[in-house]
Amino acid sequence: MLKITDLKYQHNNTDDIYEYSMSVKPKEIVAILGQSGSGKSTLLDLLAGFLHAQSGSILLDGKDLTQVSIETRPISILFQNHNLFEHLSVQKNILLGISKTLKSSQEELDKVKMILKEVGLEKFEHTIASSLSGGQQQRVALARVLIRREPILLLDEPFTGLDADTRIEMLDLVKKITHENNLHTIMVTHELEDCERIANRVYRVENQKLVEQ
Amino acid sequence: MLQDVKRLKHSLLPGGFVSVLLLGFAFLLFFILFLSQEDTSVTQLDSRVFSLLQFTLYQAFLSTLLSVLVGLALAWSLAHQSHFKGRSLLVALFSSSLVLPTLIVVFGLISILGRNGWVNQLGIYLFDHSFGSYLYGLTGILVAHVYLNASFASRSLLHAFESIPKEKYKLAKSLNFTTFQRFMYVEWPALRTTLLSIASTIFLLCFTSFAIVLVLGGSPAYNTLEVAIYEAVKLDFDIAMALKLALIQLAVTTLLVLFSSNFRTGVGNVRTSTLIIPWSEPKHIKRFQIVMISLFTLFFILPLLAIVVDGIGANFTRILSETRFIRSFFTSIGLAAVSSILTVVFAILLSDTKRNFTLKYRLSDKTFSKPLNTLVAFSGNLYLAIPSLIMGLGFFLLSQTYEAPLVLWSAIALLTANILMSLPFALAVLGPAMQKTAQRYDKLVFSLNLNPLQRWVYCEYPYLKSSLGYVFALSFCFSLGDLGIIALFGSDDFSTLPWYLYQLMGSYRTSDAAGVALILLAITLCVFILLPRLFRSSVAKDN
Repeated sequence: MLKITDLKYQHNNTDDIYEYSMSVKPKEIVAILGQSGSGKSTLLDLLAGFLHAQSGSILLDGKDLTQVSIETRPISILFQNHNLFEHLSVQKNILLGISKTLKSSQEELDKVKMILKEVGLEKFEHTIASSLSGGQQQRVALARVLIRREPILLLDEPFTGLDADTRIEMLDLVKKITHENNLHTIMVTHELEDCERIANRVYRVENQKLVEQ
Repeated sequence: MLQDVKRLKHSLLPGGFVSVLLLGFAFLLFFILFLSQEDTSVTQLDSRVFSLLQFTLYQAFLSTLLSVLVGLALAWSLAHQSHFKGRSLLVALFSSSLVLPTLIVVFGLISILGRNGWVNQLGIYLFDHSFGSYLYGLTGILVAHVYLNASFASRSLLHAFESIPKEKYKLAKSLNFTTFQRFMYVEWPALRTTLLSIASTIFLLCFTSFAIVLVLGGSPAYNTLEVAIYEAVKLDFDIAMALKLALIQLAVTTLLVLFSSNFRTGVGNVRTSTLIIPWSEPKHIKRFQIVMISLFTLFFILPLLAIVVDGIGANFTRILSETRFIRSFFTSIGLAAVSSILTVVFAILLSDTKRNFTLKYRLSDKTFSKPLNTLVAFSGNLYLAIPSLIMGLGFFLLSQTYEAPLVLWSAIALLTANILMSLPFALAVLGPAMQKTAQRYDKLVFSLNLNPLQRWVYCEYPYLKSSLGYVFALSFCFSLGDLGIIALFGSDDFSTLPWYLYQLMGSYRTSDAAGVALILLAITLCVFILLPRLFRSSVAKDN
């Protein structure tokens, strides 16, 4: 269980204090709704460690993540843009999720092949990421999420700009991945339809606070 | 906070070390200069020193004013005449003024405007009249400064013109603006900031100009502080006087650098825009623009052409077999190669460290970030505050204190000066590029926990490749053509191509000088044009 308790954050140069409390169970998708600038992405930045909370705690199965550095937090993130290194191949983009050396092992390469099959991109292993469509690029990013096997998945409006069919396809893929891998998924969006399709619960950011719908 | 610093240590420490090294060097230089004073006469401003300071400021002011005016008129003309053949080649040629060895430019200008130059020969041929040797003195200094700096200014300003959204022109046209109104309300607001930073840069460059004043100044009445320091050390052996002048110059340049803040002038590898400004010019304006472009092109190309024409007739068999030429050639190439490699490495490390203090997901919100950012920026721009002659004087005094072969001191002094000279330009190119890459990929790189080597190979290098090639070529050419510190350390045993050329010119071996000038010009242009091609990257275009 992911438990966020009284997580407080104040941006520089503003008086607004954001306060977040929520919980996410394994296999659960929680959607965060809110207007632009309401503080949805700030929550994800706090969870990922890009921003530091003034107080409060983030617990995963009882283990405190609040002081854990970005790179060691058990989290995978999908952003709206720049999820891939566009000049690298699909294979390299996925490998960067697990490989810590310039030369990858055969075992790692086999893993990538397997994951690509899972997301339906086996034909594109050696394709340069920039030549893929928007939907395919997000699939590659999701494939990297799968290969990393981190228990928390954060989605920061990653399917904005995709056509309706691809969007539905991607949402279903997120749902499948979350279920099959016991992920705790938090999805920031401003599309009510997205929430209705895959979210188990929905929170709305109102007056810098999370309110469960 | 400590957690963030620890997380970014691979990015903070190497550049931090370089920065401390550079600042330490500056401190050592000040210390040596300060220690070497024998009395308190440094603070006395006698009439000779005062007139030197006055003339240095005067010529820098006039040069800046003329360069900016000509550069602005040229950029404006080029921006509105964007459809003629060879335009991009012309802009690229003007860009090369940045790397042209100053002495080559002076040599070319003498060939055109000197006593026996093309203009006088034409005057005698057509009207039986010679204009004499009008080039030496303030006129020559101004002409050479405008030659080098107006083309530099025009390129940066052209970029500013081309960055104006085309919709603004359409709006102005729909409001029936005149050409003057268009300039005042559409173009001037976009140019103002660039113009200010270009003017401050040009002023600094002209204030510390050495080779041009040395050759074209003509008499002590037209000496600048920089040349007077050289003469005090090299000709009069008056170290006390050199120190006095050096400290005055240091004080003024430091003040100027502080006032002009960062070195922000765009020196990137700018491609010209092919977008046509949606405005058809009135005939008389169009005529003025065409005349402006033609006249400046002629002014820019003729000296280069003269070097080629005069150089071709030189006896290359003799030049190439001379021991001093061979020695100078290899010294120049060796120093340029080492200093350009070190410049690129230093610029990467400094830019990497500096971006930590400005980026959102790094240390930008920490209280110490702003002063540290300024300090790192200042360490990379030291050359603007400490001109090479002063640096040379510092090394000269060090060589007197610590015994080592003079050739070794000379090589160290030249390498240091060349690196410091190129660093502001290298940082101006690489800094924004590295900032942009980090802005784009920081979150992804941090979340994937890529190590520094992976980050460099997969994320930074592909995007920086073409900028690296440009910076490498730029610093190579700067080093190759510099006639600054070598003027103090040059000897029969230690010489570079510009110093060798200067000596040939001084001993009136004009034909050999023309040959060496042509060789130097050819190497410079080849390196500047060809080297960046080796680093071409398809990725960088999208960045």
